[in-house]
Amino acid sequence: MNVEITGLTRRFGRNQAVAGVDLRAGPGVFGLLGPNGAGKTSLLRMMATVIPPSSGRMLLLGRDPGSYEPRREIRQRLGYLPQSLGYYPGFTVVEFVEYFALLKDMPARQVPKAVAAAVERVDLGAKAKAKLRTLSGGMLRRVGIAQAIVNNPELLLLDEPTAGLDPEQRVQFRALLRDVGQNATVVVSTHLVEDVGAACTAVALMDAGKIVFQGTPAELTARGEGTTAAGDAPLERGYTAVLAQARS
Amino acid sequence: MTAVGLPVLVRLHLISRRVPATVIALVACGAVLRGALEWHWVKGSGNAALQFPTLFEAGTAAAIAVTTYGPFGEPERATGRWLPWLRLGTALLLTGVAIAVLAAGAAAANLPGGTLALARNVAGATGIGLLAAAVVGGALAWIGPMTYVVVAEVALSQSWTSPWTWPARPPHDRGAAICAAAVFVAGITITAVRGCRDSLSD
Repeated sequence: MNVEITGLTRRFGRNQAVAGVDLRAGPGVFGLLGPNGAGKTSLLRMMATVIPPSSGRMLLLGRDPGSYEPRREIRQRLGYLPQSLGYYPGFTVVEFVEYFALLKDMPARQVPKAVAAAVERVDLGAKAKAKLRTLSGGMLRRVGIAQAIVNNPELLLLDEPTAGLDPEQRVQFRALLRDVGQNATVVVSTHLVEDVGAACTAVALMDAGKIVFQGTPAELTARGEGTTAAGDAPLERGYTAVLAQARS
Repeated sequence: MTAVGLPVLVRLHLISRRVPATVIALVACGAVLRGALEWHWVKGSGNAALQFPTLFEAGTAAAIAVTTYGPFGEPERATGRWLPWLRLGTALLLTGVAIAVLAAGAAAANLPGGTLALARNVAGATGIGLLAAAVVGGALAWIGPMTYVVVAEVALSQSWTSPWTWPARPPHDRGAAICAAAVFVAGITITAVRGCRDSLSD
């Protein structure tokens, strides 16, 4: 298992964003669904080692990120794309991805090839030398994905990765997720249930800081069958049914 | 990472922190200080003569503190071991440049207090800026040195003797040197290890 989480909590002042989450995930694409404020982003940030948990136990890639050396090793093998990615507008696409590759301690001789491959995988090869200030929002999102995958991560964490992508790019992106998920654990936080249905092998649904469902997309779909839950697609009806049940 | 990648990493880090523009600003500070001393903009003697140079010392510290702001946010923090060293190197480099350009600016004329006091004051004010970056974030870190300079100007005008108002103390005042050095070390250590605060909500 690349992700083993037990009783994880995170508080921000009086607000408990994550309230006792248990989660295990191996290789594959793992979807993290939930409404706004459910705690998905806080959970992802803890898994990305950028904020510590308030309590609970977390093992990532078999290591405890609470200590310096294991955290360093995790970070070398981690890819992370937050909801909003900052960038330096004067960097080119290649410079941006190269900076992250070097920060992640990749051997310098492998960096140019790895950067070129990551840029190609997000279909930005033609824009490799373009300054980031000249790119559209969707292209910047793909640059962000490139920095996350440049080190061939064993654990890839993506927060709303398809926001700003057009339908064609989203289809390509789902294919990329499935490809990466063959060897790595990919955790995708999203509002978009169609992304989960198309790309994920497992899914968890969060509400009010807790995981209220964990299973396969097919099992989530089944939870909506025979109910009056709202939704335009079977998976959406399953999502709504589980949330309604959790809140009742 | 091998030695081949390190210069590239350092170059990209310095550019992302707008260090080239900051160095230009620091050089400009040194040039204006030189003009001020050469053409006798600075009136009076003793502490009164230090009031104008103290503004430049705080200005360079504010410029250095703002470079702690990084545009990349959490993905950069979720990387390997190099980031603390890059932050440390950037702060040390810019503090050294600030002291050098202000000292060069003051070289032709007699700066009251001399280079020793100048180095102490710049280091102390930079430490305040770096501590401010850890509390309010890099983009607002200039607030620290700018607030301190107001206190320092009052201290100079009223000849305070507290070592914490080091610009008002003589160059060889050991207490003032220790206070300024302690603030500098605290600021540079915290911002190197933790970085500046990303968002006030965290």
